[in-house]
Amino acid sequence: MSAEEASTNGTTLGERTAIGISFGNSNSSIAYTTIEDKAEVIANEDGDRQIPSILSYVDGEEYNGQQAKQQLIRNNKNTVAYFRDYIGQDFKSIDPTHCHASAHPQAHEATVAFTIQDKESGPQSTVTVSEIATRQFKRLAKSSSDFLGKTVDSAVVTIPTNFTEAQKAALIASAAEAGLEVLQLIHEPIAALLAYDARPESKVSDKMVVVADLGGTRSDVAVIASRGGMYTILATAHDYEYTGVHLDKVLQDHFAKEFIKWNTTDPRESQRSLAKLKLEAEATKKALSIGTNANFSVESLAEGIDFASTINRLRYETIARKVFEGFNRLIESVVKKAGLDVLDIDEVILSGGTSHTPKIASNMTAIFPPTTTILAPSTTATAINPSELQARGAALQASLIQEFEKEDIEQSTHPAVTTVKHLTNAIGVLSISGDESHGVFTPIIATETAIPARRTIHINAPKEGGDILVKIVEGGSHIKVSQVEKPSKEANGEDEEDSDDDSDEEPEERREKVWKVGKVLAEAAVKGVKKGGKVEVMINVAGDLGVTITAREVGAKNGVRGALSSP
Amino acid sequence: PVLPEGWAAEKDFKAIGSISASTQRSIEPVGPHFLAHARRARHKRTFSEDDRI
Repeated sequence: MSAEEASTNGTTLGERTAIGISFGNSNSSIAYTTIEDKAEVIANEDGDRQIPSILSYVDGEEYNGQQAKQQLIRNNKNTVAYFRDYIGQDFKSIDPTHCHASAHPQAHEATVAFTIQDKESGPQSTVTVSEIATRQFKRLAKSSSDFLGKTVDSAVVTIPTNFTEAQKAALIASAAEAGLEVLQLIHEPIAALLAYDARPESKVSDKMVVVADLGGTRSDVAVIASRGGMYTILATAHDYEYTGVHLDKVLQDHFAKEFIKWNTTDPRESQRSLAKLKLEAEATKKALSIGTNANFSVESLAEGIDFASTINRLRYETIARKVFEGFNRLIESVVKKAGLDVLDIDEVILSGGTSHTPKIASNMTAIFPPTTTILAPSTTATAINPSELQARGAALQASLIQEFEKEDIEQSTHPAVTTVKHLTNAIGVLSISGDESHGVFTPIIATETAIPARRTIHINAPKEGGDILVKIVEGGSHIKVSQVEKPSKEANGEDEEDSDDDSDEEPEERREKVWKVGKVLAEAAVKGVKKGGKVEVMINVAGDLGVTITAREVGAKNGVRGALSSP
Repeated sequence: PVLPEGWAAEKDFKAIGSISASTQRSIEPVGPHFLAHARRARHKRTFSEDDRI
């Protein structure tokens, strides 16, 4: 980058200490960027990096995170949970389902509030969701200030892609009340992508990425065109039916039924037993993401009877199959919504707590072609912890912009800067061998690239060298389906989906991505290329869609240069 | 791609068409490459001008 980032060790007044915050319905996390520009997630005083977004009040004292989560059993009426999506909403538009087990949301003026006993004595207070969020931000800011040893005063916060302006404004106001200046709100899937792209070993490239953020109470999927390190969201989907709590529910029901077998009561019928069941089911689910066997045990589950059992991963994957298939459909539907095919996807990033589940990742390897990288702990050894991606991305963005003036940030994120033309067709060179229609298309600038853009490639010249014609054309990709002869023997016994590795058995239908050559844009001649030489072609598309093309032999000084007018 | 016989153009470059289609979309204002883009856009610089600085 350049001059704007030059001063890092100045100690001018008003210098910010910024962190990244991922603020979720179920969990929040905080991260900072080290001097070596590496993002690290901060653990709170309980040692948790995933801090449950829960606040609870006992005798006027405030608890948050894991400690507040435990209060869901004994003190559920004074415990506020799953409130992030209520911020900036009116009561009519919220879904209170997840709050049945804790303090209930209620209509209060234009907003949502909770009635809780948050003081030692006296009447109950009505606390607005904005105030609850402020208290949560204060706790997060304090944990990070304690860790960093200096007061944290600003943050980049991640939000879902479907947050309204009202929700954004309310979130910024709540953070401001807590003494945190929100430098920027960034979208959750983009934060996850940035966390991967900022790693030193990753190279800037043009790729199509699916980010599946599988959380506790919602699952969000986005298809993103990553072009030269710039990101454009092509399609999104939000789902509240297939999420982490639904997996918990599967385990709850499983163990509740087992309990009923030996006892008379259904532990799901009493609030306290259900709360215990729920907490333990989540713990068992987490254990099943790591090991192939997990225990489930609750002291005095119901009727004063202890309950202990075990489950293995295979059994869990069987009973949770419906939910897993829901994730598959959700992800496939977003790819379709973006007008793409699974063959177009280069990378799938699994983000969010539920993405630790190995079965979800292995389902992805079955849906997507082998060329697609599935970034999840069980499929890629170097994958980043899915729970930490968003906080890390936010921390990285925070460190990039913390020295900017507020005005600079606002101007840079203004729609005038962010809304630009994107190419509908790819632009590339056509290598012709005889007939024009049999040319091979090599893309230089990919589809959905934001302009202005510039790309350079090197193409091999024919072995014998000589005069070369560089033909610049537009290209579109489409999926070619061809029937493949079945292997002679009888049909394979097992279903295709069941076999993870079907490379040795021929599928009936072969689908492949092929380029269709469109309009010819320009021709250029590079003369007298040496034997085995290479030709460098640079294409520069300006903001007005005007194109400049430069072609020269690698190593040569002079090349051919020409321009195309904007349409 | 061998140059066919008799191909000729002024300065060896022949402009034939121009880009046919584009869509307006929003880039996400995140990451170092976006910030570089925003800097260019705000100062109305081109890539090569930006490289020189």
